[in-house]
Amino acid sequence: MDLHLTPEAEKFRDDLRAWLTANLDHPYTQDVLDAKNDEDSLVEVRRAFQKKLNDAGYLGMAWPAEWGGRGATQIEEAILKAELAAADAPQSPNALGLGLCAPALIHHGTEAQRKRFLPPMLSCDEIWCQGFSEPGAGSDLAGIRCKAEPDGDDFRITGQKVWTTLGPWSDWIFLLARTDMEDRHGGITFFLMPIDQPGVEMRALKQISGESEFGEVFFDNALAKGEHVVGKLGEGWRIAMTVLGFERGGSTLLPAAEYSRQLDGLIRALKENGQFERDDVREKVGNLIVENEVLRANGLRSLAAVAQGLPPGAESSIDKIFWSEYHQRLTDAAVELLGPQGQLELRSPGAHTDVHWMHQFLWSRAGTIYSGSSEIQRNIIAKRVLQMPTK
Amino acid sequence: MQFELNEDQALLKASTREMLAAESPITESRAVMEDNPDGYAKKLYGELGELGYTGILQSDDNGGMGAIAFTAVLAEMGRVAFPGPFLDVAIAVHALEACNGDTAARWRDGASSGNKIVVLARGENMASSDDASVASQFANGSVTGSKVFVPFGAQADALLVETEQGLALVTRPDAGWNATPLTTLDHAQRFCNIELDDPASLLAEGSEAGKILDDAARLGALGATALMLGCMESALEASLKYTSERKAFGVPIGSFQGLQHRAADMLIKTESTRAAVYRAAWAEENSEPDAGYLVSVAKAWAGPAGRFVCGQAIQLHGGVGYTWEYDIHMWFKRIKTLEQFYGSTRAHVEAALLNSPHV
Repeated sequence: MDLHLTPEAEKFRDDLRAWLTANLDHPYTQDVLDAKNDEDSLVEVRRAFQKKLNDAGYLGMAWPAEWGGRGATQIEEAILKAELAAADAPQSPNALGLGLCAPALIHHGTEAQRKRFLPPMLSCDEIWCQGFSEPGAGSDLAGIRCKAEPDGDDFRITGQKVWTTLGPWSDWIFLLARTDMEDRHGGITFFLMPIDQPGVEMRALKQISGESEFGEVFFDNALAKGEHVVGKLGEGWRIAMTVLGFERGGSTLLPAAEYSRQLDGLIRALKENGQFERDDVREKVGNLIVENEVLRANGLRSLAAVAQGLPPGAESSIDKIFWSEYHQRLTDAAVELLGPQGQLELRSPGAHTDVHWMHQFLWSRAGTIYSGSSEIQRNIIAKRVLQMPTK
Repeated sequence: MQFELNEDQALLKASTREMLAAESPITESRAVMEDNPDGYAKKLYGELGELGYTGILQSDDNGGMGAIAFTAVLAEMGRVAFPGPFLDVAIAVHALEACNGDTAARWRDGASSGNKIVVLARGENMASSDDASVASQFANGSVTGSKVFVPFGAQADALLVETEQGLALVTRPDAGWNATPLTTLDHAQRFCNIELDDPASLLAEGSEAGKILDDAARLGALGATALMLGCMESALEASLKYTSERKAFGVPIGSFQGLQHRAADMLIKTESTRAAVYRAAWAEENSEPDAGYLVSVAKAWAGPAGRFVCGQAIQLHGGVGYTWEYDIHMWFKRIKTLEQFYGSTRAHVEAALLNSPHV
């Protein structure tokens, strides 16, 4: 066993911290608090910070050198994400593009596609949204019905996608559509398509938080160029499954870092209002600390496995269930312990302004649904890890 | 960065599993639990000493193998609900090594070689294993006081007694201890209350004694957590085997999603315990400043997690899970007992809170 960071990784972290001190004026929560910001201007805040990160060479660090990579390890990627979360830095509006579309282009795309799409994705001059889920195909992703019909060298896309994060602000969508309606897995193809065209209608989807970060998008003979097919026809499922497994190392330390920040905010508030002296409050908070530290231990183990080049194991499903369900316990407890004040929206008079508790409380309900619901993750564990019998 | 055991540790773990499978499988643990008044097999205990296990926490020079190896060995023992005072003696050996003088050295030799049983006697409050107040006295070469829940105290050849003046060694009087055996949930774990009014040697005083006892508490908690991990592993494995064989409605019951999701939760708790306990062991072995904190995190987590896993194991076994004949209860009980000692769950939650970077 060796859980020490290498001197190089420590230097990377220290440099990054110094860079953040110099380049992050204030936590993102303060931008949200600022009444002159609306959803549009907050996306611009996020875009501007991603540009800064990119200019400093912090994006795509593990990519091939010609696309901005600098030979970074998964450990450095993980440190980057954890430190950004700990600092409450604005999240990249292109997280899905960088996390899923870029690896698809790097591993399965053409040189022309990489040249055309990667630089503006990194600089955030183009924002990407993801078109995988449909109203009738969520956990059962291979059940998608969105159709791609040949039109000369190109394709015409008809159908609907949903839960398109940042859809209303996106310039491009990467999507899975059927080039064969019968072949369940082999009939799916991976397309890149511009949003701004006739035949694409993007609608904002209002969430329980009142925000409209998600969208739903309708295609009616929308044009996807033949040169924008990633991989071959019918390879979409395989590409999607491989990219979903990429960069998993990068996210292993993120949840514990993010929830540490929230725990800090909770404890600060409880000390201020005098509740922290109560034994029942301390026991509750103590258990939250213990769980978050166990979450971090799981993350370290997963990261070590990735760093060693070990194939994905049970860790990713265990980690997903743990962080998403823990976040619900954390925010449930916080909102209870903070009393009526815990129910205040960030901009309300009297609200705690270091953590957006109402947003976290509601957002935690999405975590157990997206990226493979808790039920799907438990099915995966039972079948693939525990190899329990099928009927 | 790597989480796996190194080659020596992995070899030790594998050979321990092999040795326990031959010498102390769960059937043997059951036989000891049911029939042996001492609660352990003397012959096997001696062999563990000969093989160097009992001295595992000593320094390198004395044949110690470090906190990670200690953790790996105890996890193997948990898998078979190993009976006997192993953990308590290993901690006592570590404490004796830190004490000066011939008496300490002689008893360390005896205990680490498996010839003698030496355990710590600390608690004095039946209602709380976390109550640190000590009324026992060392004066004029004697110890007086009352100790409760002394692990394998009736079987011990000597006790390391915490007194107000420091750590004193009391050897078993010729007439035996003035001990009251306690009947506890886990019949393979023997505890007794002991009234002391016996000649003794003071081995350590003041801050030196304090440090020795703090180390013992931390290592005890780490070892207990490792034992709990092993119990969880076995309970999960037994459940997977049972649910794949037992049929209802014409199919193996393990094919039902309701049972599968319970089993998935058992794996999550078990693997999370593994991550937490080995992270703590690594910190302990490397003398990291947060070792105590990480041990508290692991122990605070493992008690409830272990009760969950073993409780679910009983549930997955259905009615037979509630029978004496099936083994599940042995792990279920061991975990509950371990949860109460080496710092209770509540004490470690509080310690984790106090020592965390958040507070």
